[in-house]
Amino acid sequence: MPCHRYDRPASRREFLQTAGGGFGAVALAALMGEQTQAAPFRLPQRAARAKSVIFLFMEGGPSHLDTFDYKPLLNKLAGQSLPASFKTPLTAAGEAKSPLLECKRTWKQHGQGGLWISDWFPHVAGHADDLAVIRSCASSGINHAGGVCSMNTGSLFGGRPSLGAWASYGLGTENRNLPAFVVIKDSEATVVNGVRNWGAGFMPAVYQGVEFHSDGTPIKYLDNPKGVDRREQRDKLDLLGALDRDFNASRASNTELEARIRGFELAYQMQAEAPGAVDLSGETALTKKLYGMDHAETATFGRNCLLARRLVESGVRFVQLYSGAGSKWDSHDGIEAKHSKLCHSVDKPIAGLLTDLKARGLLDETLVIWGGEFGRTPMSEKGDGRDHNPTGFTLWMAGGGVQGGQAYGSTDDLGLYAVEDRLHVHDIHATILHLLGIDHTRLIYHHMGRPERIDQNEGHPYTKLLGA
Amino acid sequence: MASAATPLLAVDDARRLAETFFEREVRPVLVNRCHECHSGTKQKGGLRVDHIGYLTAGGDTGPALVAGKPEESALIEAVRHTNEDFQMPPYKKLPDAEIAILEKWIKMGAPWPEDAAKKVVVTEGGFTQEQRGYWFFQPVAKAPPPQAGGTWVRNDIDRFIAEKRDALKLTPAAEADRHELVRRVYFDLHGLPPTRQQIDAFVNDKDPRAYEKLVNELLASPRYGERWAQHWLDLVRYAESDGYNQDAYRPFAWPYRDYVIRSFNDDKPYDQFVREQLAGDEIAPDDPDVLIATAFLRHPVYEYNLRDVRGQWDLILTDMTDTAGELFLGLSMGCARCHNHKFDPILQKDYYRLRAFFTPVHWRDDLKLVTPAEKQAFDEQQAKWEAATAAIRVKMDALTKPQIDSRVNVWRASFTEDLQAMTFKPADQRDALEKQLGGLCERQLDFARASFDPMKELKSDEAKAEYKALKAELGKFDHLKPKPLPEAFVASDAGPEAPSNLLKTRRGDQEMEPGFLSIVDPNPPKLTPTKTSTGRRTALAEWITRADNQLSTRVIVNRVWQYHFGRGIVSSASEFGTLGEKPTHPELLDHLTTKFVAGGWRFKALHREIMLSATYRQTARREPDETAAKVDPSNRLLWRFNPRRLDAEQVRDAMLAVSGELDLTAGGTASDGNGTRRAIYTRKKRNSPNDLLLALDMPAGFTSIAERQSTTTPTQALQLLNGDWVLARARRLASQMKSVDDVWLTVLGRQPTDKERATADAFIKRRVGMVKAASASTEVAESNDPGMGFHFNSAHERLLVQSSEKEGDDFTVEAIVKLDSVDVNAELRTLVSRWDGGKASLESFGWSIDVTGQKSRYKPRNILMQLVGEDENANIGYQVVASDIHVEVGCRYHLVVRVAGARHSITFTVRDLDTPGAAVQSAVVPMDRLSKLSQGASPIVLGGLSKRTPTRQWDGQIEALRIVAGHAADNALNTDSEKWNAGLFIWRAADPPNSQFAWSGADPKEDDPLLKAMTGLCQVLLTSNQFFYLH
Repeated sequence: MPCHRYDRPASRREFLQTAGGGFGAVALAALMGEQTQAAPFRLPQRAARAKSVIFLFMEGGPSHLDTFDYKPLLNKLAGQSLPASFKTPLTAAGEAKSPLLECKRTWKQHGQGGLWISDWFPHVAGHADDLAVIRSCASSGINHAGGVCSMNTGSLFGGRPSLGAWASYGLGTENRNLPAFVVIKDSEATVVNGVRNWGAGFMPAVYQGVEFHSDGTPIKYLDNPKGVDRREQRDKLDLLGALDRDFNASRASNTELEARIRGFELAYQMQAEAPGAVDLSGETALTKKLYGMDHAETATFGRNCLLARRLVESGVRFVQLYSGAGSKWDSHDGIEAKHSKLCHSVDKPIAGLLTDLKARGLLDETLVIWGGEFGRTPMSEKGDGRDHNPTGFTLWMAGGGVQGGQAYGSTDDLGLYAVEDRLHVHDIHATILHLLGIDHTRLIYHHMGRPERIDQNEGHPYTKLLGA
Repeated sequence: MASAATPLLAVDDARRLAETFFEREVRPVLVNRCHECHSGTKQKGGLRVDHIGYLTAGGDTGPALVAGKPEESALIEAVRHTNEDFQMPPYKKLPDAEIAILEKWIKMGAPWPEDAAKKVVVTEGGFTQEQRGYWFFQPVAKAPPPQAGGTWVRNDIDRFIAEKRDALKLTPAAEADRHELVRRVYFDLHGLPPTRQQIDAFVNDKDPRAYEKLVNELLASPRYGERWAQHWLDLVRYAESDGYNQDAYRPFAWPYRDYVIRSFNDDKPYDQFVREQLAGDEIAPDDPDVLIATAFLRHPVYEYNLRDVRGQWDLILTDMTDTAGELFLGLSMGCARCHNHKFDPILQKDYYRLRAFFTPVHWRDDLKLVTPAEKQAFDEQQAKWEAATAAIRVKMDALTKPQIDSRVNVWRASFTEDLQAMTFKPADQRDALEKQLGGLCERQLDFARASFDPMKELKSDEAKAEYKALKAELGKFDHLKPKPLPEAFVASDAGPEAPSNLLKTRRGDQEMEPGFLSIVDPNPPKLTPTKTSTGRRTALAEWITRADNQLSTRVIVNRVWQYHFGRGIVSSASEFGTLGEKPTHPELLDHLTTKFVAGGWRFKALHREIMLSATYRQTARREPDETAAKVDPSNRLLWRFNPRRLDAEQVRDAMLAVSGELDLTAGGTASDGNGTRRAIYTRKKRNSPNDLLLALDMPAGFTSIAERQSTTTPTQALQLLNGDWVLARARRLASQMKSVDDVWLTVLGRQPTDKERATADAFIKRRVGMVKAASASTEVAESNDPGMGFHFNSAHERLLVQSSEKEGDDFTVEAIVKLDSVDVNAELRTLVSRWDGGKASLESFGWSIDVTGQKSRYKPRNILMQLVGEDENANIGYQVVASDIHVEVGCRYHLVVRVAGARHSITFTVRDLDTPGAAVQSAVVPMDRLSKLSQGASPIVLGGLSKRTPTRQWDGQIEALRIVAGHAADNALNTDSEKWNAGLFIWRAADPPNSQFAWSGADPKEDDPLLKAMTGLCQVLLTSNQFFYLH
């Protein structure tokens, strides 16, 4: 695909100099919630309603065929091989020739828009008219590492900034005492590829996602060292500040020095504020129930969804929640049992989140995204499972100005390949930035002389979601 | 406009006629039909049609137009819509009349009117004059130093600097004083601060050549290579792990790191350094010290377990090509992978020409880092062992082969059919690509093979027994076995024939031969293939290291300048193209480059030249005056030395140096980042980098990094304030300090000012007062009641054991216990541990034996073990091993836990002592391959963890407990603890007090108030701007 035109970039150095000299200052600007550029990349106001994003990442690859992409033909052909009219796909486990696996779900149409949703998402189905279901997603990653890295950074391999990092680079944070980009997992397990899924890649570290733990100490190193109370911490910071200010006084041209003092003060503020952001004691029992926190199976993800709402309310720009951290949605065999359990664990919490956001008037400015790194094949694996399918799968979005109650794009009759309005991961990223009011072709970061964009110059925003 | 390529009609009339035809007929078609996508604002496919020069130069798919030859012109092919994949305008074909106009125009020779305002001169090869004239492509000029600078000048560098500076009426900064200089030079060349003695020696040296001596002395030290190798390792994206999902450790990558350090210390000429890394296998295959350099070709991200083998190899080649372009040529080639470069004259063809040098590369794991003589000796000895053991091994293989074969075949079937076929081909019949791709498949099959564990998986007990016997028999010949040779993490070519290297475009595929940048050197390289190699990489290396290569020579000299000054003469050190920065002092760059090459490509001479200049010796302690603030606020013209923050490794090593803990052990396998060796010798795991180094902007090793960032983030501040590692350095430092002055001298190498001393004194006084007041109010009378129980909130919560001997990874715990309660929720009761409960650092390596609570997902009252150690990929591994033996509250038990780390299993044995005749319950549970279990920082603790954790408190009796190293045989165990007679320690509640055991009702006593305050002061100074900045 050919590149698009981009403006001859101004040099990075020039930008840094005007920004006050050095990355310290840039980082600081981001911390202070200031935009780091004069925002030449902002779209006209009407295009952008979303201010923040909650990305619900079902890690391991949820089956679109059993949830949001209804394929009656699949059950008709179940047990047979993929018809010859379909191009043979390259799959992770090599299951191209296995017989097609029937979908055991019951499907119904929901809402005024009549969206087809399976019985694995009964509560989410109640919000059908808020959902913009994109059935034509595609990715280049056929396995988990490549797929998750791709969905997060646009690249199969590490080294590039993640979507959340781009969003914070473009928009900064609205709460300087909290990180702009927060990640919460549903267990201690490691997400495939580890921390680089929310890394800043070649951008300064200030844009990277910060992992919050859903209970206890929310951020690594947030607690004072053992035996040090807040008073001692304050005393140490005062001493540091006094010595640094003395040192800086005759070196005012080096703005990094001042930025560093403020960095320590922000850290101290964060120590005070971050625990509050994850403290749910002020939430009513009714609210907790809404999120499914009163049942063991839904309590963990429910808690994380509620945390996400609180963080977004506190001005965090981008929240990513992992369900099934460590590829638990992966279902090469026994998909019935595995998916039943996981769908159940997220259905009520997600519905609760949507209800709560709406009730608080936040849904319009919060873009909620549900999906994984890929979908699953119509072909079976090991008799009762499904292999990875990156060539056609479903994501849905709600809030943030998207036109809900309808499906966008489509896969072929067996849900194997995206055929209509195919959206590659690059297009998905461009679309999400678009919904945040960013012209992704102008949100540029210069790295090694190259003007880098989130989509590696290949994506197009899918503006139909806005009803356009 | 030009030129021979577009001949105009000679006769005036004819020309006028042609121009009229063009303006009336042709230009409207171009403007109306093509300009939208192919002119000033957009250039789809890299093509513009608003000037004949652009048309003949063409776009991504080559020239759009051949004057006089419509049939050969892509433009005509496109508008005719005959090629389904190449139709312009897309969707809507032009009317036939318009197509005819274009055809006629091209047939006429495509005349284009002179247009002085839009003069575009396109020369041979399709490059414009402007592109050819770009400074970087000009030969390196021999520039005589200007007569400038007067008495300020110390060497030629200063003349160039002075000329530009004087032109803007800027004045040089004063020379830095000796304190500033000595600190700068040590950090610059060694990455370490000078010690107090080193500072004194230099400051007090009366020799007028003291500074020169210092520079020479530091260049001769092995610390120099350890610092400067780091710059190179950043550039080659060095790491010790695969960097994909599994992130497998690369246990044999470190010899390359040592090779780089050695090369710098030996002052190896840069041309040789480059040749060895690109083509060491071709130029000196028998010299292990050269062969290891080809690990340079092994640094791309990789994962053995990927079915898309073809796709992965393509990405690896892309990575090698991009890195070579940036690293050696100072050009980001990446843009040209998909189309001709938008801003620089780098053709897509050039990208594939460069790629062609790497397409034959084959990653080798079969080579060893030894001389041929050593290899021969090994082979001879190995042959003896093989001859002696052949019969045994045949029998062993016969037992395992059917199962291994079937496992391998299942794995193989997951590859596409063409790949499967490659793996079936005998190695000597494979072509280059089959060797490469087949080789990548084989790695997976080898993994499948190695994952078979005969002792566990052989189907019958007889087979297992037979295998075991054979293995024992085989072991008897171990004395014949040669010592294994060091593995070589290197590469070679797959053979003398290169695999295909296709440039795929919409107009078809094109095989690309190796070649250089067309604009600089369009001639094909001279290749000298050998029996085993294409010779391509040698040719590339020869070209890069040609004395007259204007790209590579300037790039490396500029890098050295950049690392000294914090900014290059070209500040975008890996991008010299138009997207990069223009050189501030191009003549100086050429002057230094000429000298560098003429002097034998040696770094140390270049360092000396730069560091001895007056420019380098300027102070950084100067604020911009009015002129500087106006004309050069960012100091591009060097009216002072650039202030700099220390790099991650410098910060870490400096903290260790001042706390007196720095371990200078050089070379060899890497150590954990939480230890005390220099940062360059710590493990570089791409997916789990060291927290502190990462927070201080250490690159992760995925891509080539030319310049470190210097960020300020709250998470960085949190780590410096609250992280264990920094605090441990501060504590260690404080324990050696006698006064505030002492702290300043040690950390910053100078006396504190009066004001600083007063501030520090006030801090210490305040903190000591606070601590005393606090401890007075919370003093609790300690109970003297000995009791036998371990209970929360009593003086007898936990028992700390002092034992100099460690239990290792194989040990036995024997205890007689009774539990009064389990937790009502899911928490554990910990019987004994060597653990602080953490899972994130080397200090937390350890284990605990616990009983589960009522809501545990392991079911209540289950005896289990938790382990934190190092796994086979050198990651920190954590595991819970549950016995599924459930104990009753209030019942007395004899409990034995045998940990067999080497055999990866734990055996739990429990005997109920209250019920006569009760059966012994026993369970053998597999454990992960975790090692170093006893190497954490925690002591052994009975009744809880080393860190006071109320939720892990034992509640009940521990009548007796001992730990025995190794596997204790059944007959060595006894339900009567009085009969125990061996162990690292034996604890019996009934025994009289013993200094080996200390009761604890709380965390270990706080440091004394003064020490604690001093620790605070030390920590503050270690995180201060003065420590972090050379300013």
